Amino acid sequence: MQEATFLILTALADGTQHGYGIISEVTKISGNRVRLRAGTLYTALDRLRADGLIDVDREEVVDNRLRRYYRLTPTGTTRLAAEAERLQANATAALTRLNPSLGMI
Amino acid sequence: MSESAELERAYRRLVAFYPRSFRRENEEEIVTVLLATAPDGQRRPGIAESIDLIRGAARMRMSLSRTPHTVLNAVRLMYLGAVAELGVLIVLWLTEGSIRAAVAHQYPMLTAAQVGQLNTVFTVDLAVGAAVVPLWLLMAWGNSKGSQLARLAAIVCFALSTAGMVTDAVTGSPQFAPAAFTAAGVVWLIGLAAIVNLFRKQSMAYYERQAAL
Repeated sequence: MQEATFLILTALADGTQHGYGIISEVTKISGNRVRLRAGTLYTALDRLRADGLIDVDREEVVDNRLRRYYRLTPTGTTRLAAEAERLQANATAALTRLNPSLGMI
Repeated sequence: MSESAELERAYRRLVAFYPRSFRRENEEEIVTVLLATAPDGQRRPGIAESIDLIRGAARMRMSLSRTPHTVLNAVRLMYLGAVAELGVLIVLWLTEGSIRAAVAHQYPMLTAAQVGQLNTVFTVDLAVGAAVVPLWLLMAWGNSKGSQLARLAAIVCFALSTAGMVTDAVTGSPQFAPAAFTAAGVVWLIGLAAIVNLFRKQSMAYYERQAAL
């Protein structure tokens, strides 16, 4: 799973978000490291919808502008949890191997 | 023209690179997000922003031809269905003698006309089975291309197959031809699995998008 995909799914993990909300959340989650642009976001959202990982929750019109809210599907939740566990296991393995050498410094 | 109106027009020109079916559903939302993320006073899209939109449009056009895994599953099942249908034909051919013996045992006083009917039933079953094998392959090919006609053909064939299974069950196939009936049941289950995959949400969206292209 690409990092942008992982971050988008993470942004939706605790509730629905509209497009701008996802961009803001991804920036926040990544500590300002990843700033999604609209083209990247909507290409990813379209693919995630086609794969059944996210779905449209509702649409609202605010100041004559459309806001479409997205949510994780049960499949998306499962995939995100599996990916998070995989990343965590990799990070733990890396830190475990690094710690002895770090201790020698 | 105000700065924001000028910027919006420029964004819409870039969003025009996206496929029509995607724009119809998403253009207003993308433009909303683009305007919301634009710094105050911006009159034209930045270079990086423009490249991102054009790249997104190119990827979108490529991804529209991407077949979702649910349709691929259905297509694989249809190829499997062709093989299984061939299996039914072989089973029917190999067990013809035992089927005739079972019928003769159950109805020892068969007339010549009734034996002729039995021969016709065998011939028709073998002919239909032989015709269905290429039909499975044709449906698999058509559905892999996102053809609505191929999906409709799969639905009609499954309905006919269901009717055939019910008829066979009622007319005593499980008693006289248990092996062939079981093999046909396996084919029916493969058909059912293919139909379920064709009606999954991702498949429905794929066929709709292919029709809109």
